Amino acid sequence: MFEIGKKGTPEAGTRPESSPARTESSPPRSSSAPTGRDAAVIGPSIHIDGDVRGEEDLLIEGEVGGTVQLKNNSLTIGPNGKVRADVYAHSIYVDGYVEGDLFGAERVHIRKSAQVKGNVTSPRVSVEDGAKFKGAIEMDPQAAQGGNRPSAPRNAAPQQAPAKPVMQSQPPKPEQPAVAKTGAAS
Amino acid sequence: MFHSLIQRLQTGGRWVVLDLGTVHSATIRELGKFRCRLEFVELADGLDSLNGEIDPRRIRQTADALLPPRRTEQTDIVLCWDLINYLNQPALTAVMECIALRCKRGALAHGLVYYSAKSMPQRPSTFIPVDDHHIIQHLNPGIERPAPRYSPEDLARCMPRYSVERGRLLRNGMQEFLFKL
Repeated sequence: MFEIGKKGTPEAGTRPESSPARTESSPPRSSSAPTGRDAAVIGPSIHIDGDVRGEEDLLIEGEVGGTVQLKNNSLTIGPNGKVRADVYAHSIYVDGYVEGDLFGAERVHIRKSAQVKGNVTSPRVSVEDGAKFKGAIEMDPQAAQGGNRPSAPRNAAPQQAPAKPVMQSQPPKPEQPAVAKTGAAS
Repeated sequence: MFHSLIQRLQTGGRWVVLDLGTVHSATIRELGKFRCRLEFVELADGLDSLNGEIDPRRIRQTADALLPPRRTEQTDIVLCWDLINYLNQPALTAVMECIALRCKRGALAHGLVYYSAKSMPQRPSTFIPVDDHHIIQHLNPGIERPAPRYSPEDLARCMPRYSVERGRLLRNGMQEFLFKL
């Protein structure tokens, strides 16, 4: 079991002083992804098998298997990161490889360099064009809140689904070569 | 016909949509307006293994592995886009049979078949829903290959569980189908 952010940090480059304990009533943080400067980092040479828990933002550039739980914080899986785990976090940003289910209490953002095999449950899900994704996106806030998800482990991120999901997306890539419109009004 | 699928979603309730194509932000944006679970397969990644197999049982196993696991909550809508054209007949039979086992009775499958067009892009195209509930085809560049030009009879033979709910020939030589289970 790795308790990141409680008993020091796993690797140089982290700033424990920037991560005071947060409570459920803490105001929402910025929606932008954490950077290496203000987040704990699991570096490219680190390989973790087990449960990762923490109370500060985390950037994974190494390999993690098991579960990742950041109750009130953001997780970024960097371009070199490989995660084979179910992930529970306030916000999840994926640039690298994930094999597992993603539960984002606030949002999940899958960037174009990402490869994701697994299901995504969050009130806000965005997938950039070019990302490789195989799995399901749960867009039904009622299902996201309860019924259709596996039971979360203790300390998992709480589901804070709003009344209506917000789906964000990136515009189509401009370099698309040819366009033909089909499916005229029927 | 894509428009009619959206109209079906607009009737309310929860829906399960299976998209055989590549994930696209526009699809998520369009379907994100409704209460639904959207499953993506990227069937294009498995075309070689599906078409390269001879043994029908092995084709079926491959198709089953490519598709999402069967769940108690069954699929309502299947978006096949143009992938039908890229499956040979045994593979098409296996894939559509495996999909049928995941679908509700009355589920709809939308597909586009190169019919009067003699050739098609080497790889499946990307189809992008646009605001008026229509779809735009982004053709992949490069050389083309002969289209199988499946006839309605071919499709009926390969997809015996499906009936054609609606079908029409488009100006680009494709035939658009709405199949019903």
